[in-house]
Amino acid sequence: MSVLARSVGNAFRNKIRTAAVVAVLTVAIGLALAMLVANQAVGAKVQELNASVGTVLTVNPAGGQGFEGGGEPLTAEQAAKAATVPNVTSVVGTKALRMRTETTTASGTSGTTQTQGGPGGGPGGQAATAVTTNLTAAVDAGTLGNRNNTSNGTGNGATGNAAGPNGTANQTQPAFSLPITATGIEAEVDSTGKALNITSGTGLGDYKAVSGKALLGTTLAEKNKLSVGSTFTINGQTFTVAGTFDAGTAFGNNAVYLTLADAQKLANLPDELSTMIVTVNSMENVDSAKTALQAALGSDKADVTQGQRNLETAVSSLNSVKGISLVAFIAALATAGLIILLIMVMLVRERRREIGVLKAIGAPNRTIGLQFVLEALVLATLGSVVGAVVASFASGSIASALISTNTTTTAGTGQRGAGGFPGGGAGFPGGGPFGGAQQLLTSVTASVSPEILAAGVAAVFGVAIIGALVPALLTARIRPIEVLRGE
Amino acid sequence: MIEVKDLVRQFKSGDRTIKPVNGVSFELGKGTLASIVGKSGSGKSTLLSLLGALDKPTSGDVIVDGVSLAALPDTKLTEYRRRDIGFVFQQFNLIPNLSAVDNVMLPMEFAGVRKAARSARAKELLEQVQLDPEKHGRRINRLSGGEQQRVAIARALANEPKLILADEPTGNLDEQTGEHIIALLSSLSRDHNTTILVVTHDRSLANKADRRFRLQQGRLSEEASRQRVAAPAS
Repeated sequence: MSVLARSVGNAFRNKIRTAAVVAVLTVAIGLALAMLVANQAVGAKVQELNASVGTVLTVNPAGGQGFEGGGEPLTAEQAAKAATVPNVTSVVGTKALRMRTETTTASGTSGTTQTQGGPGGGPGGQAATAVTTNLTAAVDAGTLGNRNNTSNGTGNGATGNAAGPNGTANQTQPAFSLPITATGIEAEVDSTGKALNITSGTGLGDYKAVSGKALLGTTLAEKNKLSVGSTFTINGQTFTVAGTFDAGTAFGNNAVYLTLADAQKLANLPDELSTMIVTVNSMENVDSAKTALQAALGSDKADVTQGQRNLETAVSSLNSVKGISLVAFIAALATAGLIILLIMVMLVRERRREIGVLKAIGAPNRTIGLQFVLEALVLATLGSVVGAVVASFASGSIASALISTNTTTTAGTGQRGAGGFPGGGAGFPGGGPFGGAQQLLTSVTASVSPEILAAGVAAVFGVAIIGALVPALLTARIRPIEVLRGE
Repeated sequence: MIEVKDLVRQFKSGDRTIKPVNGVSFELGKGTLASIVGKSGSGKSTLLSLLGALDKPTSGDVIVDGVSLAALPDTKLTEYRRRDIGFVFQQFNLIPNLSAVDNVMLPMEFAGVRKAARSARAKELLEQVQLDPEKHGRRINRLSGGEQQRVAIARALANEPKLILADEPTGNLDEQTGEHIIALLSSLSRDHNTTILVVTHDRSLANKADRRFRLQQGRLSEEASRQRVAAPAS
C-alpha cells in the first residue's frame, strides 16, 4: 500500500467526521470559487468597459445628435483637428444614412424628397441622409414605432404623403415600416465605438475606401434571407454582404455598416461626417481630453459628449464589487486553509501513537509528513469537487447579489439613459450612446469557465498544502519513545 | 553482534535524579534468544528503547556490528531502526485501519522495497508466523490478540533485522497463546539467525531463552544460561 493509498484510506477512517469536514470545506471552497468567478466576470467587464467605452468621447454637430436636431455637419477637417488633441488615440468618423425600403417610398414619391431634409419629413436632421434600399427592416414598428411615427412624422408616413406634391390627402396610407440605419465607418467599430462582433464572413477591409461591401445585422440578414456573398441595393447601387454582425440588441441588428467612403458617396456628401468617435488613451484623461477637444472644435461647431459619465459610476461600482469579491475570495480561501490546518492538527494529535509506531519501525519524517499532506489534499479534493458544483450554481446569484448591493445609487442614474431614438422600442439613450450603468451592470455574466475553476482549485490546493504543512511538520517533533512509553 | 557498553539513562524528576538504566553492559551474539526479567519500573522498557534507538542514552554506547549508535545522527538512527531493528510490543501497535499484509509491508515500503516483492514477502512471513491465509487481508481490528501479535512479529521480521526487541510480547495474551508466541520467537531466532531480546516479567517465559538477564534498580546481571530446547512454533 503506497503513501497515497494509505492517505486516502486514512481520510475515510471516520466517515461521519470526513463527511462533516467535507461539508464545511465545501462551503468555504464553494464560496471561494464563486467569489473568484464573480471577480473574474466583473474584472472582464471592467476591462471591456475601460477598453472600449470608458475612454470614448462622441462628437456631434453642435445642436444635433444622430437624426435629431440641427446645426452644421462635421467635416473631415474637424476630424483631423480632433486627432491632434493631446491624449486622443484615435478618431473614427461616421456617416449615418436612414434607409427606407423602396416599396414604401414608391407609394408616395414625395416621401423621398421630404425625408431628404424637408421640414415636414420629420427630424430629417442635418447629420443623417435618407436613401432607399431593397432591404426590409427586421423590426416591426409595433405600438412604439407607430406612435413615434405619428407624433414626429418620421419618414414618409402620413405626413410625408399628405405634403408630397404627388400625394393626395385621401390616399390610402401605406403600412409604416421602420427605417434601417446604415452607418459609414472608418474602422471596424459600431456607431458607439465598440468593436463589431462579426458572426460570419469578414470585415470590410479598408474602411476608408469605396468597397461596395456591407456588414448586415444578423436579424436584418435573416429577415431579407441574405448571407455572406449575397447582394442588395442602396439607392440602386449594389452592395455585397461581406459579413454579418451581432450587436446584441434587436434594434442594433436592424442596421447596415458600410465604409465611410461608400456612405459619403451614397449621400453625395464627401468629407461630411455625422459623428466622430474619439478614443482617449485612459479614463483618467477623458475629462481633460473632452475639454481640449471642445475647445479645439469650438462649442458652436461641435458638441462633445462623454458617453461614459454613467459608466464611470458603473465602473467604479464594478471595481468595488471586484475588490469585495477578491477580499471574499481570499477570506474564503484562508478559511478553507484554516479548517484544513485545524483538522489536520487534530488528526495529528489523535494519531500521535500511530505516528510514534511508524517512526519506531523506521518511517522517515518526510514520509509521515507527506502522508498527512496527501490526506489533507484528499479532503480538499472532495471539498473542491462539491464546492465547484455549488459554485457553478451559486456564482451567478452571488455576483448579482454583490452587484445589486453595490449599485443602488448607480441604478437611479442609469435609468435616465433610457429612451431616445424613435423606433421599435430600443434606441440611443438620451444620456449618450449607451444604455446606462444599470444595464451594463446587469449584463455582467458570471459563468464558471474551466480556466477559472482550475485556477481556483489550484489556489485551494496551495492553501491546503500550506494548511497541512504545519501539522505535517508537527509530526516530525513527535518522539516515538514519548508516545510508546505508555506501554 | 550487539555490544552494550556502560549504558546509563537518567531522568530528572523534581529534585531527584532517576537512573532506570545505570551502567548496563553486555554482549549478544547472532541468533541468540535472550530475556530480561525484572519488576515493573526496573528499567526494562527504557533499556529496550535505548537498544532500539528510540531514546538516547545519557552516557555509554550501543554498538551494532561495529557501528556506534551514539555517533549517528537522527536520520541514520531512523535508518538503523528500519533496517536493523524489529520491534514487538505488548500492545502490538499495529495500524488499525490496515490489513495484516499491509501492516507487514509497511517497514519494507519505508526501506524502498518494490510493491510486488514486499507483498510476496509479507505473505511469506505471515505464513511463517502461522497466520491463517484467509486472514492475511483482514483488518487488524478483526483479528484476535494472538493473531495480532503474530502479525506484529511478522512485521518485525520484514526487513530481516539483526535484532528483534520484544517488550512484554505475551503480556496481553493468555498463557497458551503466550507459549506459542515464545516458541515462535525461539524458532525464528534459530531459523533466521536473528538475535532476539525479550523483556518480560514472566519467569516461565524468560526461562526458555538462551541467555537470561535480570534488571534490578537499573543494573543488569546475567543468570545462568541454558541449552536451547527446540520447541514447535504453534
